[in-house]
Amino acid sequence: MRLSNIVRLYRVRLRSRIVQELFAVVGIAVGVALLFSSQVAGTSLDGAVRKLTSGIVGQMRFQIAARDAHGFDAGLLSRVERIPGVLTAVPVLEANANVVGPQGSRSVDLVGTEPRLAYLGGSLVRKLGTSQLGRARAFMLPAPIAQQVGASSLQPVKLQIGARTVSSLLVPELLAPGSGVLGESPIAIASLRYTQRLTGMKGRLTSIYVRSQPRRDREVLAQLRRLAAGRLNVVPADFSDVLFHKAAEPTNQSTSLFSAISALVGFLFAFNALLLTVPQRRNLIEDLRLDGYTRKMIVEVLLFDALILGVLACLVGLALGELMSVELFRADPGYLSFAFPIGSERIVTWQSYAIALGGGLLAACVGVLVPLRRDLFSGLGHLVETPEPRIRDRTGLLLAGGTVCLATTIFVLTVAPRAAIVGIVSLAAGLLLFLPVLLDLAISAFARLQQVSTGASAYLAVIELRSATNRTRSIAIAATGAIAVFGSVAIQGARVDLQRGLDASAHGIDSLAAIWVTPAGASNSFTTTPFRNLETSAIARQSGVRAVRVYRGSFLDWGERRLWVLAPPRSAEHPIAPSQIVSGDVASATAELRGHGWIVLSQALAVEHHLHVGQPFVLPTPQPTVFRLAALSTNLGWPPGAIVLNAGDYARAWANEDPSAYQIELNAGASASAVSSEIRQSLGPRSGLRVTTSTQRQQLHYAQAAQGLSRLTQIRTLVLIAVVLAMSAAMGAAIWQRRIRLADMKIDGFGRGVLWRALLLESVVLLGAGCSIGALFGICGQLLLSRALVVIGGFPVVRAVDVSVAISSFVLVTAVAVAIVAVPGYVAARVRPAIGLQDR
Amino acid sequence: MLELRDLVKHYRSGEGEIVRAVDGVSASIAPGELVALYGPSGSGKTTLLMLIAALLRPDAGAVLMDGRDISELSDADAARYRLHELGFVRQSLNLVPGVSALDNAALKLLGVDIGAREAHRRVMPLLERLGLRARAKHRAEQLSMGERQRVMIARALSTEPKLLLADEPTGSLDSARSREVLGLLTEVCRERGVSVMLVTHDPQAAGYADRVHALLDGKLVDYQPDLAFVSAAGAQ
Repeated sequence: MRLSNIVRLYRVRLRSRIVQELFAVVGIAVGVALLFSSQVAGTSLDGAVRKLTSGIVGQMRFQIAARDAHGFDAGLLSRVERIPGVLTAVPVLEANANVVGPQGSRSVDLVGTEPRLAYLGGSLVRKLGTSQLGRARAFMLPAPIAQQVGASSLQPVKLQIGARTVSSLLVPELLAPGSGVLGESPIAIASLRYTQRLTGMKGRLTSIYVRSQPRRDREVLAQLRRLAAGRLNVVPADFSDVLFHKAAEPTNQSTSLFSAISALVGFLFAFNALLLTVPQRRNLIEDLRLDGYTRKMIVEVLLFDALILGVLACLVGLALGELMSVELFRADPGYLSFAFPIGSERIVTWQSYAIALGGGLLAACVGVLVPLRRDLFSGLGHLVETPEPRIRDRTGLLLAGGTVCLATTIFVLTVAPRAAIVGIVSLAAGLLLFLPVLLDLAISAFARLQQVSTGASAYLAVIELRSATNRTRSIAIAATGAIAVFGSVAIQGARVDLQRGLDASAHGIDSLAAIWVTPAGASNSFTTTPFRNLETSAIARQSGVRAVRVYRGSFLDWGERRLWVLAPPRSAEHPIAPSQIVSGDVASATAELRGHGWIVLSQALAVEHHLHVGQPFVLPTPQPTVFRLAALSTNLGWPPGAIVLNAGDYARAWANEDPSAYQIELNAGASASAVSSEIRQSLGPRSGLRVTTSTQRQQLHYAQAAQGLSRLTQIRTLVLIAVVLAMSAAMGAAIWQRRIRLADMKIDGFGRGVLWRALLLESVVLLGAGCSIGALFGICGQLLLSRALVVIGGFPVVRAVDVSVAISSFVLVTAVAVAIVAVPGYVAARVRPAIGLQDR
Repeated sequence: MLELRDLVKHYRSGEGEIVRAVDGVSASIAPGELVALYGPSGSGKTTLLMLIAALLRPDAGAVLMDGRDISELSDADAARYRLHELGFVRQSLNLVPGVSALDNAALKLLGVDIGAREAHRRVMPLLERLGLRARAKHRAEQLSMGERQRVMIARALSTEPKLLLADEPTGSLDSARSREVLGLLTEVCRERGVSVMLVTHDPQAAGYADRVHALLDGKLVDYQPDLAFVSAAGAQ
């Protein structure tokens, strides 16, 4: 069929269904927007780290890296350079630093290297070679970060590194030639020698990047491993991408899951709108077939409908998604920035566009074609005066399918929680299969209630709810609410469980001491930056101070995981909070941790390395040490996992006695805030240390946990808004299309009030039934996801079936949707009876 | 031109009984001839039209159009047959709302490989002939029922078919409008040499037909005016 004729057919029919088509565009656009923005959030997170890594390592193939912040002797560089097959070896020193300017401070990854890396490495360090920075006593910072801290060019700013505070000249990147490469990466670049001076690590390196000659990788790798002697890590140059991907996995997975549910809601929204146009399209198909159009031609006509709908929806959806990804999802999960330098740059890949566009077009095609499949592929038998075919009762089939899905979910929940995604999908499928039956039950219950009432409204509502002509639309509307409330309750419930667990974990760690003295800077929230041991007698002399103890901590790369290491003092009452132990005896584990050579590992880590309680194993620390496993714990809120040992054992295994924090214990009755002020004064203004009370740290960690999970709450809010709009729009449009029948009823003597109440009752039953069924299934989903968080991620989860999330979602969606529907219902109920007598 | 040979079409009812919708019907229509087919509701009239339109396949017998058995056609060939050789006018007036009479009448022509402008050019004389020149730009809902039916006739005739099947074309019209539409239908078809099979239970239609058949329980029987009145009464 000619394209121009298809376009003509589309155009002439559009006027009569433009409102419904716009509803459908909005529905699909909502799904596309959520899909796109969550994709962008994910790629920005991974992409920012990847960009930073490649920007530094460039063409380098391997790195030999230290296992802690103290690094290794720079003499290793010449030994690496002498390895046959090594083309280039470039030394790097990295350290956490806090840049303090006139208007604020910002944590950055201070990278010190040599100008020659500029010619071999990535774009980020290129300016070391092109500018004079390689020889200057200054460091370069991305312009946006320089602006944030209020520092201008060649102005001295403070750098807090460990317990030191030093002054340095700042060169904002914008002033350098070819500006803008650093983007918004939290990174500061300086020459190696100057960085060593700033950090007080003269003659030390944290990594050496290596480029080998062609086809000599294996040989070089073997020699690097020999030099590392099991005390340094030999990994690909861009290995931090792998480590980050592992750490960000739960965030990306949860966002994807919610996005899929959002997309489904968006599609149901569109499907509802498209159902409004089904009678008209059905008539069109019937006529075109009688006129001699082939099925292929009719499918072409319908596909063109879908294409226009899909393209428009995708354009609107991408624009909306762009806005959402900038305004809503831009904030990175802050907790990951403690271990990785994550920029807030937005990275949009072609895959994000492809997924969003593909999803939108698919939704449009399915939405247009599926309701009409019978009209397209069956005969025109309904035009013939033949006996009505027997209506197939599908209740049994639906129940059987739903039962299989539920059984699958229960199996996953109890036996195979690692297959949580399968469980959630089967639960959602079960919900959709059970929905028609449960909806019928709800309508029957309402009909029984109606029998005891004398009002005509309830009677009319029951008639409409039971009407076969409204059935598909009723199920679609109820399904929209059910899926949205299901997703909202399941994920929000799991989020609340996780938040409680993270708070409990933070409480357990932070309450180890009344006051904490740690290096400043947001990146040190996990107390992982070591600093030179101070003379603590001044702190100990403060009134109210009972004891000053050393706490050690850091990140340790083991396999593909960057682990959080916590080493509280031996004397700590609970080196690990009892609530975080998932396997092993709490009392004996506590006693063992206070002894020598015992360690607690996150369960997921132990499973990965096939370790069990009591088993000895070698921990790959700077000084590889044998430990015995005292117990298994949660991941303490850090997705890759955590290790707990005592500070003494840490010093032995890391071959270093530097603390990461001082824990201050107070005498009974001493005020933590008063003592902390005194300690702050005693440390003086040039100290790079921060003094916080246990309560302040808890508040900070609660806020960080909430921020890390905030994206889920944001998506949930958007889904609920979308579903309220979807349900009320579909219900409103359905009511509006029924005006002639309402006019007939008016002719029969029903009053305006009766009709309006009937419409409202019908809406309440339909929307309420859908949402309550969704809420019930959502509670099951919450159990499933919370269990998966424990089993797969090893997260600290406090599981509690809290029906408040379910009730609030159900009441909110139903009440708001019914309130919106009341308006078109009221207008429709005012229809003039004369309309019922006019030509139809 | 059209020949029906021992056509049989049976259905199985919901209770499993065999319903003989068309039971050994043989008939023929010559070029330019107008044949009316009477029958009460459920007598098999529409089934017979569906068989002629190749929308159903007979259980036995043949539908020969110019000697070609159209019941043997593939789906695509059957569609082409309906597009080029057949016109179909139905009782239900499925005009696209919000769209002009001209566009509605040109819908069928868009299926032929010509552009919209050419389609309009071809259909306009038909609309004029059917008395709709002044109403061509009016939207469907602005037309009276009689005018809508005339648009449907224009659409059916737009591809210059050999045979027009009209299924109760005046079913939703009053008697004055029925006469007007039937008059125009027969005039236009005679002018163009189009054969017409008119399915109706309206006895007025007899006056417009060259021949009248009656269908009762799927069998073709001799037409008796009484039967027509009985079926008309039954239909009401």
